[in-house]
Amino acid sequence: MSWLRPSRLWRAAPLKRHYEVVIIGGGIHGLATAYYLARTHGIRDVAVLESHYIGFGGSGRNTAIVRANQRTAENVRLYDEGLKLWPVLTDELDFNLMFFNCGNLNLGHSEAAMNAFRMQASTHNLLGVKSELLDPQQCADVIPGLDISDRLAFPIHGGLYHPPGGIVRHDAVVWGLAKGASEHGVHIHQGCEVRGIDTREGRVTGVRTSLGAIGCKRLGIMAGGYGSAVAAMLGIELPIHPLTIQAMVTHPFKPFLHHVFSSGAYHVYANQTLKGEIATGAHMDPQVNYTTDATAYYLKHQAEALSELMPALRGVRFMRIWSGLADMTPDMAPIMEGELGCDGLYLDAGWGYFGFKSGPVAGKYMAEYMSSGERPEILRAFQLKRFLEGRYSGETASVMKYGHWD
Amino acid sequence: MTGYAGDTVASALYGAGVRIFGRSLKYHRPRGLYSMEGESANTFMSIDGIPNECAETTELRAGMAIAPQNVRGDPRRDRFGFLNAFDRLMPAGFYYHLFHRPQFLWPLFQSGLRRMAGTGVLDLQGDYGTGVRTERYLNADVVVVGGGPAGMAAALAAGESGLRVCLFERRRQLGGQMSWRVRDFEGEPLYRRAEALAARVRAAENVKVLTRSLATGVWGENLVTGFTVGTEDDPFRECHWECRARTVVVAAGCMDRPLVFNQNDRPGVMQVGTAWRLARTYGIRPGKSVAFSVADDLGLEAAIDLDDLGVRVRFIADARESGQQDRAVFQALSDRAIPFFPGCAVSRAVGRKRVRGCVLRSLKGRGSRRFHCDLLVANAGMQPRIGTLATANARLAYCAHTHGYQPTELPPGVFVAGSMTGLRDPRSIEASGRVAGYGAAVWCGDRAKSGARAAGRGPSLSPGRASRAAEAAVREAKALPGPPAGCGIIHAPAIGRGAKAFVDLDEDGTYKNVKESMARGLDVPELAKRFAGFGLGPGQYRVAGQNLAMIMADLRGDPVETAHATTVRPPLGAPSIATLAGPGHDVHKRTPLHAEQAARGAVFRRAGPWQRARHFGDDPSCRDEIRNVRTNVGILDSSPLGKFRIHGPDALKALQRVYISDMRKTRPGSCKYSAMCNDMGQLMDDGVVVNEGPDDYYFTTSSARAGATVEWFRFHTRHDGWDYNLVNLTDALGSLNIAGPNARRVLERVTGANVSNEAFPYLACRRITVGGGVEARCLRLGFVGELSFELHAPASCVPYLWDLLMEAGADFRVRPFGLEAQNCLRAEKGHVIIGTESEQRVTLTDIGMGWMWDRENTVSKKVGAPALRACERQPGRLKLVGLRVEEGAKAPRDGTLVVDGEKIVGYVCTTRSSETLGWQYGLALVHREHAFPGRRIHLCHEEKAGGRVTSTAFVISPHFYDPRGQRLRS
Repeated sequence: MSWLRPSRLWRAAPLKRHYEVVIIGGGIHGLATAYYLARTHGIRDVAVLESHYIGFGGSGRNTAIVRANQRTAENVRLYDEGLKLWPVLTDELDFNLMFFNCGNLNLGHSEAAMNAFRMQASTHNLLGVKSELLDPQQCADVIPGLDISDRLAFPIHGGLYHPPGGIVRHDAVVWGLAKGASEHGVHIHQGCEVRGIDTREGRVTGVRTSLGAIGCKRLGIMAGGYGSAVAAMLGIELPIHPLTIQAMVTHPFKPFLHHVFSSGAYHVYANQTLKGEIATGAHMDPQVNYTTDATAYYLKHQAEALSELMPALRGVRFMRIWSGLADMTPDMAPIMEGELGCDGLYLDAGWGYFGFKSGPVAGKYMAEYMSSGERPEILRAFQLKRFLEGRYSGETASVMKYGHWD
Repeated sequence: MTGYAGDTVASALYGAGVRIFGRSLKYHRPRGLYSMEGESANTFMSIDGIPNECAETTELRAGMAIAPQNVRGDPRRDRFGFLNAFDRLMPAGFYYHLFHRPQFLWPLFQSGLRRMAGTGVLDLQGDYGTGVRTERYLNADVVVVGGGPAGMAAALAAGESGLRVCLFERRRQLGGQMSWRVRDFEGEPLYRRAEALAARVRAAENVKVLTRSLATGVWGENLVTGFTVGTEDDPFRECHWECRARTVVVAAGCMDRPLVFNQNDRPGVMQVGTAWRLARTYGIRPGKSVAFSVADDLGLEAAIDLDDLGVRVRFIADARESGQQDRAVFQALSDRAIPFFPGCAVSRAVGRKRVRGCVLRSLKGRGSRRFHCDLLVANAGMQPRIGTLATANARLAYCAHTHGYQPTELPPGVFVAGSMTGLRDPRSIEASGRVAGYGAAVWCGDRAKSGARAAGRGPSLSPGRASRAAEAAVREAKALPGPPAGCGIIHAPAIGRGAKAFVDLDEDGTYKNVKESMARGLDVPELAKRFAGFGLGPGQYRVAGQNLAMIMADLRGDPVETAHATTVRPPLGAPSIATLAGPGHDVHKRTPLHAEQAARGAVFRRAGPWQRARHFGDDPSCRDEIRNVRTNVGILDSSPLGKFRIHGPDALKALQRVYISDMRKTRPGSCKYSAMCNDMGQLMDDGVVVNEGPDDYYFTTSSARAGATVEWFRFHTRHDGWDYNLVNLTDALGSLNIAGPNARRVLERVTGANVSNEAFPYLACRRITVGGGVEARCLRLGFVGELSFELHAPASCVPYLWDLLMEAGADFRVRPFGLEAQNCLRAEKGHVIIGTESEQRVTLTDIGMGWMWDRENTVSKKVGAPALRACERQPGRLKLVGLRVEEGAKAPRDGTLVVDGEKIVGYVCTTRSSETLGWQYGLALVHREHAFPGRRIHLCHEEKAGGRVTSTAFVISPHFYDPRGQRLRS
């Protein structure tokens, strides 16, 4: 009957002057790393520093979609493990993360898109992750109301259906991880803004914050969209472009959309939340910036896309639009790195708009990395040096252009 | 049911005696008419089959079909009403702590929760969003949000300078709260004063007045959006507005701040404005016996007015102490002998399905008194409608004097006026509008003068005079009464657990839920909002916003000034997707040969912005089209090809920078094939460059890159200050490609030029005259692997050339071919298409095009050259290879993987069964270790788990067809 006796989800801990590990960023990545450090690796002297409140950034602004239908094997493996963690974490944390295993349907609007899906589906199935190619009629069977006629500017040629995916209540993940981390001794400090990082003789020694200096032996930068700005405090330049990405919800309805659907050609992805709203996200604003202003343009853009793909949505109204930051790397894969020329310094950044679905698994392996100092095998594909060596991860087929050319 | 002209659905229903409008989300409690502006979802219903329509803001039309939603049965007897008794079992965020154990039951609970949640029912086959939905884009010097007295005064003041003013008013009439107030002021009733102002605004020719028009937000750079709901006289059903404004005057007014007390959501509890407008705007008696628990003079005035209308006012409680009331209002109150209780507020509503009475308590003392009433008008005073300001990124802070949020810092060009600043005196409100209007005019500055001159009318007020007028308006405003003290009541007395004291109506968020959230550690409004759903429903921040912040500050024990409200998100008031989407928006380009191709049975597909012919007739595999090009002659419409001219003294330098080859080697009259890379050495584009004279070049790009090429050149030469001109001719010129062994014989018939192999060899470019008058560039290229001539001519002439060639080629049975045939033909030849045989992981050299790289040249700083050098010999890279699929093996398809055991080592980019070759070929990207001729590799695709298709193939050179290029040189 614990739900009837409200007690704090995480402790209000005193701020110590020194911790074994300090993590910058109270989002899903930082909290998950702290949780696994304390729970799995026995490092309990951990502080998570959050400049606003936990889940302020991308963790609470995403559209909560989880999936493991990426393009390359390296990515699929990581996201697949991440996907399998949701039920495990729900149980471990004793907190309902509300994983709705509804499956995802990516729509293809050209022969080229279907060819790309064929390659992805084969990759997934080869790795034991379920995916299948659907023809237009099968797409309409999965998502009733989808317009599969050729009235569309980009008619639907078919889809890539991925049953293991779904949606998770994003705030619950933040709170659940905070609860779990706190139960294992982690200190969470909200309203604590990091203003500088101290090093001595090539080692990280602590951070300077709005609440004073805090010493540490190991430091994790897990600041989501602000990761490259934090790394810049040490003069580390990362190939990351922070871009604004927007999402919006409609009024709530009785359930009619039982899966996640997305369309690259229309730059739209949508699902119906547990509360009945259609949550839908758009492509990113093209300019590099740190604002989180929503734009009228995307509200209209989204309406155009949704009303084409599912004409009944013309009868629906938008209730709220918001935005967050996506830290885009040139190959749309993250940077998880412990070799940054400064001992004890670790970085988990560049997740773009995949930061939510990857949160727990990234935390799990970053915790392993930070506790042992040895790079886990699964993280080999996400080193920083790949950009210097010209070895992009191939997470998207196309050559990406963010901000300035290339 | 009947109503009157001007009625909303809600007012008509109320007039018809309906008191229960719907049921709440979580507890299925009966809900009534609380507000008049859609501030909660209480009156959401299905109107004409459209779910979630707000009865309060929808005007009544004849023949409407209205039905309740989210009820089991009749809203008066909802079968889920029993849920109300189980609030103890459903604390804030209870679902996070429940339903997840045992795990296998969660999907069951989940689908139950999903069914309970949500309100309206959307019919997926429904025909929604009918009627004309239009969109208009305006520029204005001043946009005024709000057509109340301050907004109107601001519009008039700004309009005096000849500025273009646009005023958004949500209601059907101007006047704001003054439009229903009858109180005598300076010798006339207030509504007359509003009417007089409205008449002047309507008469001002440079003020565009949009009524029934809700401003949905102020976005970056003062872009104001909104939508107008059309009447039967409008040519549209709804119109979406985007108005780029130099300045914005926000005069959005106030709304009731709800009083948080027990059972404050009962049907019969309503806002002051609701009861007042029912009586004055709609002529409906809101109740027989009314109790008032208010906290400002406006509430008192409303009570007095209802009393004058003959409604029995049981009592008026004022949360303020005596002495804080306006003297005139207090006098009027005393004259009427209505029981008046200062320092008191209602602590509980009595009655289940509708209010039957209430309990009144002193805010300080202990005593309570019970009254009978059938209507309870309650608020905690007025709160400013901060939405517009908040979306404009104004900094807002709690003001301890007015007890509302006030801007502490306004963004550039944004002004605020009217009652939302706390002003109550009608003269002060109007004066503040004038201050804002003149302020906006001064801000617009010289533009006002030049704009007026350009419009051919002398400014009635020069900028100099505008600033003098602004100063005078400020002086005038300063002499008038400022904002009176507001009331800081946080909640009603004796709130107890507050289990049924609603802070948020839409998601049934109670005072108790706030406490529970805080006990969980979710102790800032943003977190409580997410945890317990405050302000997440259709009413958004309106009902819950300020109260939630105040209650949380209070529960933390902090001064109320620290109350930090949650972020207001646009759109303010929900625009429909149909209206936002507007009319058809498939904007695409047609080539100059669209009609000609359509006439020959072309099947079109979108390719970027273009509609292009994929194939002709009903054979998607295009066997005949392919065979015809290989053995005879075909014509392709290649008009979307990027076509450019670059000229000027530094043109060659620019070409040297972006192209990877040595572009000095172009020769007059011949084509040079080359490619552009990005900084990572990845292939961006390929095409030919023709030297057309000193410092003058013509070049082509792939269709996909046509739009980005000019910017690409400019970006990569931005530091050099080079002198060149670059002209995009893509749309100005059309092009077609005559390809096949008989291409020359067809071309000879339409031109006098010598097109023999000797006079016009492979890779030559000539200007020839075709059809006795059309001058065309003719390029001898070979993308499809056959003898071919590409004609580039003005787009308007291309249909003529097409007809000419079709006629000339009739004897040869010339026929058009489309993109799919071209795709197969070029793949047989091993020619790559960017994005098909190239991707993020491969560089120019990886796909076998390194031969074009001028590797010795470092002077030109060729884009991508350093990366090409760094990656050239790296192990483990993907390489482009040709494949020959083993005889009898199952055919792979585009996208099939190349595997080594369980390891993925590449994938097939394009594969076809070739009639020409007699076997299945493929182009694939595979790891270097497997990329050598003769290597046997394994192909595998699995479109669905368990549906694995495998085959084997040999790696060969990708140039399958005519590897020595004899045919295209013939």
